Amino acid sequence: MALIEISGLVKTFGRGSQAVEAIKGVDLSVEPGEIFGIVGASGAGKSTLIRCLNRLEKPTAGRVVVDGRDMTNLPEKELRQARREMGMIFQHFNLLSSRTAAGNVAFPLEAAGRPKGETGPRVAELLDLVGLTDKAGAYPAQLSGGQKQRVGIARALANNPKVLLCDEATSALDPQTTLSILALIKDIQSRLGLTVVLITHEMTVITEICDRVAVMEAGRIVEAGPVLDIFANPRHPASSGFVEAVVGRRNQETGYQPKGVLVRVFFLGAAAREPLVASLVRLFAVEPNILQAHIDHIKGTAFGTLVMDMTGGAESCREALNFLRAQNLKLEVLANAPDA
Amino acid sequence: MLLTPSEWAMLKTSSLESLYMVSVSALLTALAGIPLGVLLVVCRQGHILENRPLSRSLAFLVNATRSIPFPIFIVFVMPLTRLLAGTSIGTTATIVPLTLGAVVFMARLAETALLEVPFGVIEAAQTAGASNRQIIWRVLLPEARAGLIMAVTITIITLVSYSAMAGYIGGGGLGDLAIRYGYQRYQTRIMLVTVALLIAAVQAIQALGDLLVRGISWRRQG
Ligand SMILES: Nc1ncnc2c1ncn2[C@@H]1O[C@H](COP(=O)(O)OP(=O)(O)OP(=O)(O)O)[C@@H](O)[C@H]1O
Ligand SMILES: [Mg+2]
Repeated sequence: MALIEISGLVKTFGRGSQAVEAIKGVDLSVEPGEIFGIVGASGAGKSTLIRCLNRLEKPTAGRVVVDGRDMTNLPEKELRQARREMGMIFQHFNLLSSRTAAGNVAFPLEAAGRPKGETGPRVAELLDLVGLTDKAGAYPAQLSGGQKQRVGIARALANNPKVLLCDEATSALDPQTTLSILALIKDIQSRLGLTVVLITHEMTVITEICDRVAVMEAGRIVEAGPVLDIFANPRHPASSGFVEAVVGRRNQETGYQPKGVLVRVFFLGAAAREPLVASLVRLFAVEPNILQAHIDHIKGTAFGTLVMDMTGGAESCREALNFLRAQNLKLEVLANAPDA
Repeated sequence: MLLTPSEWAMLKTSSLESLYMVSVSALLTALAGIPLGVLLVVCRQGHILENRPLSRSLAFLVNATRSIPFPIFIVFVMPLTRLLAGTSIGTTATIVPLTLGAVVFMARLAETALLEVPFGVIEAAQTAGASNRQIIWRVLLPEARAGLIMAVTITIITLVSYSAMAGYIGGGGLGDLAIRYGYQRYQTRIMLVTVALLIAAVQAIQALGDLLVRGISWRRQG
């Protein structure tokens, strides 16, 4: 059974003529133990959606069921209990500036009314988990962004939640720190068997750690599925847009004039390691001019793109393209020189 | 000697009266003003205890009180003063208008300090399952500590000046002295000494407030 089940979710802010429909009917289920990513442009409604999960926003319509509990109409007291079973981390960390790292991590334990004697050892354990034992006494102002987010993660995990919600958790961090935080989330997720829901506007975050992804646009989920599938075969323009943000399409933007057939080839897994270009040259009378080549790794699987300008006569080019198609590669002819 | 021994004695009595008026009313003002400030914040739209009618009524009450010039306010609340203190003149009676007038001032300053706490921090606490009471005591108030101390400092300084005004209407204290001797009897020396004392008091209060704020925030400024 799904751990998180969202159905017919609608969220409208404001009333009357000023009403903004941030979520326009979303159905989604997240399985236990998976890392589920939601990607979308600014204003798509990602934050609103994730905030409906722990009812920081109250849904206008629809249901949000987490671990068998309907979040939409829980009374105050049970809502607080349910929230403790879901940790959340934020883009701007939201730490208490008047408390040390250890004090911040202790907060959810105090809020849950855990006995004082238990708090100390648990805080030490959590700080160790995120690699911040030596910063226990530091105030947030004395920590770097990455360290603050580590404190945020330790705080989110304090009451042994089943779910970790991440609202743009790495958007305020540099690429290097982003990777280390994502690695930490991944590591903790597999060690504790957590279910993670993360939202981001960066596809690289998705490819780095997510199992499945949903693409959001204007309050709706336009496409959802395993990350590799969406990557290899984006069906919705919004998804293609995010895939391209990773693989790039620079040659078109620079107004490159092809001399022959301009093709883009996608590889997956083992195919990414075949000497493809060498085969083309050997078997056909074509000259592929490589304009761009990329190999990304999505959760351990190689995912490559190659853009080349192939010259050598119309017939040879056609045969070469057929050969490529026969290799079970995804192929896209971007442009054809007028005389090719 | 600047003043005669009897003048010094008078000055001492007046100073003690002022000290008494200001310290008692400062204590009462902080005790009532900070909770009122918290109420002004948490009842706001979108805040943890959103309550439109209460929020509007409080805002009206605070603004209305603050629109009345303090000397008029003293006269205005005289019936209440008589009810509470049994009399409307003297230092103890003066504490009533002083406190009532300063509470709303304090509440507004406290509100400003509390609004400085980013709402995301409150949401993080809600996410951790904190109750509204816990949010007020463990998030809002501690996070706004520095701002609240500054607010109390400014309020005490305002009380010093209010208490001098109250002196004009028979409240006793340094203000009373300055007006009686300095203004009505042209004894400039007494007025000068009184003014010097008031300046020194305000400087000392401000310095103390700044010291406390620095003690809290030096670690947090990075
Ligand atoms: N409290 C609010 N009141 C009114 N409108 C809101 C509120 N919160 C969000 N919105 C609106 O809802 C829409 C979705 O906002 P949301 O913050 O969920 O987008 P997002 O996908 O998280 O964007 P970003 O990537 O910029 O964070 C936007 O049009 C936004 O203006
Ligand atoms: Mg957002």
